[in-house]
Parts: sequence; C-alpha cells; structure tokens
Amino acid sequence: MINARRMLVLAAAATLAVASIAAAQTVDTSKRIKVAMVPKLVGLSVFKANQQGAEAAAKTLNIDFLYTGPVTASAQGQVDVFNSLIARKFDVITTTSNNPTQLAPALKRAMKQGIKVVSYDSDVAPDARDFFIQNTEYPAFGKALVDSVAKYIPADSEVAILSSTKDATIQNEWISALTAYMKTAYPKMKIVTTEYGQSDPSKSLTAGLNILQAHPNVAAIIAPDGASVVGAAAAVQKLGRTGKVFVTGCSNPDAIRQYVKAGIIKASPLWDEVKEGQLVMHVARLAANNALKPNDTFSVPGLGNYTVKDKVIIFSEPLIFTAENIDQYKF
Amino acid sequence: MSALPRIGAHVAADAPTAKRRRRFLGMGGWEFSLLVLLVIVTTGFGLGVPGFFDDLSGFLGMTGNFLPFGIVALGLSLVIFTGGIDLSVGATASLAAVVAAQLWATLGLNIWVAGLLGLVMGGVLGGINAAVIVFLRIEPLIATLATSFIYTSAAVAVAGDSPPSGFPEAFNNLGSGALGLGSFQVPYQLLLFIPLAVLFWLLVGRSAFGRKLVTVGYNSEAARYSGIRVPRVLAAAYIISGMMAALAGLVLSAYYSAARADMGDVLLLTTIAMVVLGGVSIFGGEGSMGGVIIAVLLLGLLRQGMLIAGFSDMVTSMLTGAILIGSIAVRNIFSTRVGGFGKRLLALVRRPAVAVPDTTRHDAP
Repeated sequence: MINARRMLVLAAAATLAVASIAAAQTVDTSKRIKVAMVPKLVGLSVFKANQQGAEAAAKTLNIDFLYTGPVTASAQGQVDVFNSLIARKFDVITTTSNNPTQLAPALKRAMKQGIKVVSYDSDVAPDARDFFIQNTEYPAFGKALVDSVAKYIPADSEVAILSSTKDATIQNEWISALTAYMKTAYPKMKIVTTEYGQSDPSKSLTAGLNILQAHPNVAAIIAPDGASVVGAAAAVQKLGRTGKVFVTGCSNPDAIRQYVKAGIIKASPLWDEVKEGQLVMHVARLAANNALKPNDTFSVPGLGNYTVKDKVIIFSEPLIFTAENIDQYKF
Repeated sequence: MSALPRIGAHVAADAPTAKRRRRFLGMGGWEFSLLVLLVIVTTGFGLGVPGFFDDLSGFLGMTGNFLPFGIVALGLSLVIFTGGIDLSVGATASLAAVVAAQLWATLGLNIWVAGLLGLVMGGVLGGINAAVIVFLRIEPLIATLATSFIYTSAAVAVAGDSPPSGFPEAFNNLGSGALGLGSFQVPYQLLLFIPLAVLFWLLVGRSAFGRKLVTVGYNSEAARYSGIRVPRVLAAAYIISGMMAALAGLVLSAYYSAARADMGDVLLLTTIAMVVLGGVSIFGGEGSMGGVIIAVLLLGLLRQGMLIAGFSDMVTSMLTGAILIGSIAVRNIFSTRVGGFGKRLLALVRRPAVAVPDTTRHDAP
C-alpha cells in the first residue's frame, strides 16, 4: 500500500520533470530572428544590465540581437528608433517606455506589419504591445521597501518619502502599496512628508537635506527612485546622521554600494536586472514563434516557471541588496 | 584731374554688379551643392541600405518622421532673415498643442476647431515675442529665451498630471496617415508641407514683404530710413514663426496621438540647424527659402537613413552637429558680407608683405 503510494508520487514527479523538460525544449529556435532591445536611453547601468542578460540569452535562442536607443530619455527618440526598426524588418521589438501613450502609434504600426512588441520594466499602452514583463508586483515591492527600514527603527518612528516626480506611474504605485502595507504591519509608523527629487541627483540631495532639516525626528527615508535614494543617502552622510537615519530605495547596486557599506542603507530592494534581460529575450523568442497565448504558462531553464495573465508576466520577487550580498551584483 | 572721377565712377558702377554676381553665384552655388548632396545621400542610402527605399510610398512615408521640423524651419527662417532668432519655437509648439488638446479633452470642443484655436494661440505667442523685442527693446535671443521658459512652464501647467491623448482617428491621420491613390500612398504631412513650402518660397523670393524682410535683416537702419516699418515687419515674422511652430506642435500631437508639454523640446536645435544649413545667414539679410527646403529634406533623410542603417541616435546627433559647424565654416569663408574668416585667411597671406617694411623700420636705428 505504502509502496504503491510512493510509486505513485515518484511517477507523478517523473511526469512533472519530463513535462518541464518538454516545455523547455518546445522553444523552437530553428529560424534565426532579429530582436531589438530599446531602453529609455542608452548608457544607464540598469538598462545595460538588462542588455547583458539579453545578449547572453540571445546567443542560445538563435537571435540576432541589437541594443539601441535614444541618447536622452525622450519618447521622440524612441519613436525614431522604432521607425528604423520597422524599416529594417525586425521580428521583435522589446522596449521600456519613456511615455506610454506617445509611443503607442509607432508600436501599433509595427504590430500591423507583423512585428511582435514586448515591453518590460515600464509599460506602454496595453493595445500597443503583445506582452508586458513587469519587474515585480507592486504590493511585494511596497512591502520590501518598508521592511528594508522598519526592522532598524522603532515601531512608532517618523518616515519620509523622497520620490522622483509627481506623475511617475511606477513610483506612485509603489508609494500607495508601501503606505497600505505600513498601515497594517506598522500601524504606529507615520509618513510625515513626501518630497520629489525630479530624478536629478543634485535636486534629490537638496530635497534630502530639506527633509532632514525640516523634520529632525525622521528615522528613515524611503526613496523609490535611482537618483533620490542616492540623494537621500548623501544627505544623511552630509549631516552626520549615519546610524540615526536609515535610507532605502530602488537603485542598481553600483550606485549605492558605498552607502550600503557605510551602514546608511541597511537593505534596498530591486530585482535582478541581468536575469530580467534573459527573460525578455525568451519571451521575445516565444512571441516570434507565436508560441505564447495571452493567458499561458511557460518555463525558462535557469530562471523558473512563469505565468502569463492577460498578456502580463511578473518577472520576480524583489531582490534585497544588503552589506552581505551586494558584492555579488555588479551593475 | 578728369581721370579721377572716371575711375571713381567706374569703381562705383562696378562694385555692386561684382557683389551681386558673387552673391548670386554664392547663393545659387550653395543651393546647388545642397541639392547634389541630397541626391547623393538619397541614392546612396537607397542603394546601400535595405529598408530605406523599398518602394516610393514607403520612402515618402518616411518624411512624416521629420516634416514637423520642416514646418518649424519655414517659419523660423523668416525670423532669422530679419537678423533675429526665435528660441521659443519648441515651447510654442508644446503650449499650442497642449492647449488645443485640453480644449478638446476638457471642454469637448471639436478637435479641428481646437486645432484652429491652437494655431491662433501660436500667433499670439509669436506676437508676444515681437512685442517684447520691439517695445522693450530686448535682444531677440534673450527675449525668446525668456518667453520659452514662460511658455514651457505654462505648457506643463496646462498639461497637468495626465496629458490628453487618444485623439480621433481623423486627426491622427494628419500626423501618421496617408492619402491612398490605389497602392500609392502620400502622407498627409507631405501634402501639408509642399504647399506651405511653395507659399514661403514665393513669400520670401517673390513678394514685397520678402524684400522688406531681407532688407530689415541686412541693415535695419537703412530699412527704416527707406520707409520700411521695421516693427511691423518684425511682428509679422515672429507671428508667422509662432503659428508655424503651433502647426508643427499639432502635427506632432497627431503623430503621437498625444500632447505633452515636453513634446516641442526636440524641435528647436534641429530646426536652427536646418535653417543655417539651408544658407540663411544667422546675422540676417542673406539666404533663400529654396535652400532651407532642401536642407530640411537633406537633414531629415540623412537622419532617417542613418537610423535605418543601424547607426545609433548618438552618431546621428553628432553628425548633425558636425554638419552644422562645417556648413557655417564653409559659408563664412565664402560669405561676401560677414567674411571674417575668409578675410582673415586673406590677411594671413598678405601679412608678410606688410611685415617686411615693419622690421626694416625697427632695424634701421
């Protein structure tokens, strides 16, 4: 009896294993395809990390890979690039958008010509792409942001937020998620102010100094933007509040390494940008093969299993950088 | 004694014709070289870059990616002809487009009526520029720089947190649609640009207003003494420039099916490059509309070709800068009027002849 049950479990496990291998093998790479990756702008390290992962994956997927984008973060520049990719008859365009609506007409034109469009990181209008790869779920990232400072400060502390701009979609989603999580998990904690650094390093530093001087009781600054987390940490260092005020945010490890080592940032969530680049290429390959449905599941060797829900794919749980692990990540 | 006036008369009679001939050849030559360059660039990309010229419809369709720059260039040329500059064209384009879009989105106005009001708005903004320049006697560079800050901020305020988007398809067609004649497609942008280009060419080259414009730019004092109402000419130039910028803003918002406050930012520098490359002297009073129109096509197609050939935006931007410097340098060398560089070159050649008696005089004591 027991034996039979054990056999059954084994058989089930074996079927599962075979099924997952089969799923991994069904990626048809016989036809060489041209895939472009268009970041918001070239020369930003997080996007370069995407490129690094994408380039490696492209080699195994028989993809002609091109990384190209505008010099400044402009939608106009991205549209120029899309137009050229359409003329060059690329099979797939992958992009993270500077502006969801402005890019839509050009991408729709691409889709009309049979080009697959995969957005990642920052989405375009839903009807202007085939699939969207979201970095992390908003509630999960909001929780990670709060937990990254709440562990190190008293439960009734004052907290400040330093964001990028007032109309930044992702930042606003994170802020509402973290506010909601804070209310349930740390009901006594209070957000005293929300400032904006305009994604500019010096403006972020000024905003950080303002927060610390105007609110001397603030014990933590949550800065969910690459420039503002650096600005907030630099402000803490400048005013000698290291150890009294903790900072967390959303940045590539290279930019915050020194503040993590100095103990100003105890923990800071992001996601693995290199692996995300790999996933983008896998989805591009599947989309080009017409092998992915709007609601589907698939697995990627080395990355794991993914679910497509209404054309949206969640990439991963947040990855938390700390003093212990930050040196494993270089981007 | 009697020979002197004759020589004088001879010189006086000869100088203008020589000057006119040199200028005519200079201008004609400039346009001609631009045209040759345009043909070389187009055939070069057409033969060497797959995707640049697959069929005529596709090729014409590409012009829709840069003609908004051309529309601004037409208006901006008038201002530069007067010896001024309009740095507010980008901000004007954004503000007019955003205002038109908001009239449509929030007041429910018909999109075409809203667009027309946007054009009027552009004219008003140009009028403000002219008023600041004429009445407050502020340098055009400073005046339009200042108004560009104001217009940009106003555009940001009007646009709000979620700028309007998703215009009716008929309006979007203005930016990205094409008139189909069987399988042959002509983009609406081109159908808009061609008559405008002809109109501006006639306006500058064949009308009294065009003459006045160039005269004001060549020598504003002389123009005033010859009875030209300089402020009126300036006002017309800036108002037209504002309206053309607004038109470009509307076409851009149709192209993107969205109006944003930073949409016009990209227009300014490329457009100045087009006007200067077209042969219009940045000091005013010199140049031709034909040159500007060819330069619009040249820079536009060059950029499209480079992008399709796979060069990054970085390389194309750098090339635009290099072309601008190159064209101004070449023009300065051949210019009959500004002539600084050419004259200095000549001076360099001549200096030894002057320097020799100088040294002997120093050596003498």
